[in-house]
Amino acid sequence: MHITDEPKTDQKPWQSLKNGLASVKLTIFLMSLTALTVLLGAWCPQESQTGKDKVVETFGAESAKILTQLGITDIYHSPFFLSLIAMLTVNMIACSFLRVFPRVKLLSKPLPFLTGKDIVKLPFNTSIPITRNDSSLLAVVAVKLSKGGYNVKTSDQKILAEYGKYGRLAATVTHIGLLSLLVGVTITSWTGFNGFQPVLLDNHLDFQESEHSKLWVGKLPSWSVRVDATKREDYPTGEPKQWFSTLSVVDKTGKVVRTQEISVNNPLTYEGVDIYQSSWGLDNVVLNFNGSEKRLDLRPMGKLYAAFLPLDQDTMMLFSIRADGTPIKVFAKRPDWEAPRLLTQLTQNKPARLGPVTIELKKLVPITGLQYKCDPGLPVTYFAFAFIIVGVLMAAIPHRHFWLSLDRNADGNTLYMGGRSVKDKVGFERLVKRMASDLEAEFGPATEKAPSSELSVKVHPKQELATAAKGDSAKDFQGDN
Amino acid sequence: MSEMQMALTNTAGVTSVMSFWVFVASNGFKEKKDLLIKIGSGALIMAFVSLTAAIIFRGIDAQRFPLANLYESLLWFAWATMGGYLFLAQTYGIRQLGWLASLTALLMFLYGSWLPQSQHDITPLVPALVSYWRWVHVPPLIISYAMFFLGGLAGFIQLYRSGRVASMFSAIVTVLLALLAIVLGTFTSVDTAWLQILFAGASFFGTVVSFKLLDRINKSKIDLRGAELYDDISYRCIAIGMPLLTFGIITGGLWANHAWGTYWSWDPKESMALVTWLSYAAYIHLRVHRECSPEKLALVSIVGLLLTLMTYLGFNSLGLGGLHSYGKFK
Ligand code: HEM
Repeated sequence: MHITDEPKTDQKPWQSLKNGLASVKLTIFLMSLTALTVLLGAWCPQESQTGKDKVVETFGAESAKILTQLGITDIYHSPFFLSLIAMLTVNMIACSFLRVFPRVKLLSKPLPFLTGKDIVKLPFNTSIPITRNDSSLLAVVAVKLSKGGYNVKTSDQKILAEYGKYGRLAATVTHIGLLSLLVGVTITSWTGFNGFQPVLLDNHLDFQESEHSKLWVGKLPSWSVRVDATKREDYPTGEPKQWFSTLSVVDKTGKVVRTQEISVNNPLTYEGVDIYQSSWGLDNVVLNFNGSEKRLDLRPMGKLYAAFLPLDQDTMMLFSIRADGTPIKVFAKRPDWEAPRLLTQLTQNKPARLGPVTIELKKLVPITGLQYKCDPGLPVTYFAFAFIIVGVLMAAIPHRHFWLSLDRNADGNTLYMGGRSVKDKVGFERLVKRMASDLEAEFGPATEKAPSSELSVKVHPKQELATAAKGDSAKDFQGDN
Repeated sequence: MSEMQMALTNTAGVTSVMSFWVFVASNGFKEKKDLLIKIGSGALIMAFVSLTAAIIFRGIDAQRFPLANLYESLLWFAWATMGGYLFLAQTYGIRQLGWLASLTALLMFLYGSWLPQSQHDITPLVPALVSYWRWVHVPPLIISYAMFFLGGLAGFIQLYRSGRVASMFSAIVTVLLALLAIVLGTFTSVDTAWLQILFAGASFFGTVVSFKLLDRINKSKIDLRGAELYDDISYRCIAIGMPLLTFGIITGGLWANHAWGTYWSWDPKESMALVTWLSYAAYIHLRVHRECSPEKLALVSIVGLLLTLMTYLGFNSLGLGGLHSYGKFK
């Protein structure tokens, strides 16, 4: 996982553009800038969510105006933010194809066994003198490594072991996920739609007022949805418990192709469009005054609905109702009265007489709030979520290489061990050191007592980093993850 | 709260105080160091075990998953910090982080115990939270915050071990000021606008100053192996926290999609989690890029700690609410 930007000499312009776009420095810069922008958006109430008033309320009219001019009050739709995302996308595509994906090939490339000469150039290595050369030495090491979860290969007097090989795929898997997320979100934005429509009983939901992005190539359904029935269920206290609507999907020719009752959390899905029950109310009441019909709009007033009918300059008739099925109370109100006076109560089919007038309740018309959405990119988005989660999980796996070589020199045998670990370097080094001291005690020069590891094992961390970076024979296995 | 649960929570609190002081003392008495560290770790293990039991008992008392309000989430945070430290101590054989971990857990206990009684009481859930998604969505987030905290704390020690003492102190002051803003925001009625400025100003200037101070090196304090060790630990914490945060954010999206048909709505807390996520993604790429010194990375992990603090407690206490706020307690 060693990334050096390519040398800048002798490059065609497009080559350097390509490298510029695929630079990790640019990634880090863009990510930090995006993070800052989102931070601003999290801090400042967003018009698209809370409405303009909230912004004014929070900051005062003057500051709100400045914030709006700067685009901060609708930051996620600002050209700045959108171009930031666009640049991140280009950067990610370039990086993924030029740097990240090609690395998958390295996985299948077999690693070489190394001799002591190469091992001492590794970022971490140690060597111990061996006097008791019996064949069990390598077997002991191999068993220890296998127990530690390493994949071990032995040859003659050498060992090559690897841990967490598939951790190296982390970047690839995560980035495939991120790219798919972009694809999923784009599909939805270009072909999906959503909206909210309050629909009166017996009327149709027809998607004409749906919202979609500017670059939209989608199609609205040719069918519509008719509200056949809708009702509210209350708790005994009068609080609403659940709302229901019976919907029929009606095709172009007027044929009903599906009927279903929906409620909150229980939507109707037809041809990729989900229709949710999202609110409910009473819209109007139809009354009959001495044989002539009059429709009055109902307004929500706390737990009640009310309709008003002015009779003359001063007198107002008031109709109030709690819910469908309960009687309508009829009041009259005059400025000189302290409170409205209850005149009568109306229920269906029971006309009431008020002096010369007969009033009859014909019907109460409910209205159901239907939320709908069509999200064609959703399967891709879910696929992306899965990849991203798996990818970042894989990135937590430390990836380690280990080499061992037993070399014969003039003055006896030396055991070289070394390797590298991208994460959890220290844990890796402790493992190798412990192994070295155990081996020295067992196979090393016959001293009186097993020497303490820290003293006798030569550890050369660091020094070799410089050599490795220069790019010598060990380069192939230095610069990877 | 049942008596059992109370007793267990108190035991956890008291033992974490103990472990903190024993860890601190271990730095003073060189001869007794090993013994004291053993005692400190023992106390921390006890705190961890009793807190685990306390959380389980709370769940049984409440007959629901015990993670529904700020108090409960603080218990989880303390639990994850202790658990995370014990894991690190086990893998790396470290001792320095111990007192910082128990201090963090302790602060969370204190913060939790200062919350009004209504938070300690077991109350029924609001309808919006009655969902199995809560099990899936929240615990990974809290645990990831704890891991990021530990990552930042390891960053402090890295700075110390690499001789960047001045920078470390400046970073400590920064974090303390940020914490002050949060405590004031939770328990007093100081105007949240000032507290936002305190938090943001301290974080910004503190970070800049800390970066500038990186050049000041106290040679006598340098311990290269130690610096390398804590650099590694910091990275490890973040590498563990990152998948948890990712999982938490994504499951939050799935929950939202299930509940109201859209998986992302730029709610402030949601956005803040994304900020944190992007920052740690930047951190990972800084590592991959290999041009950043371990000391700079340590400071980046401390910036991450500040962002985590903001995401976890800041949005609630500094008046930036949104859908996810736990509510005000004044
Ligand atoms: C947006 C533009 C992005 C670009 C240009 C980019 C580029 C890169 C590059 C070049 C690598 C190194 C690959 C290798 O050497 O194997 C990498 C690794 C990685 N990237 Fe990204 N990346 C981007 C966004 C992200 C995001 C948002 C995440 C989310 C977490 C992410 C997660 C990772 C992970 C987990 C690794 C592997 C790190 C490791 O092996 O420890 N990337 N990225």
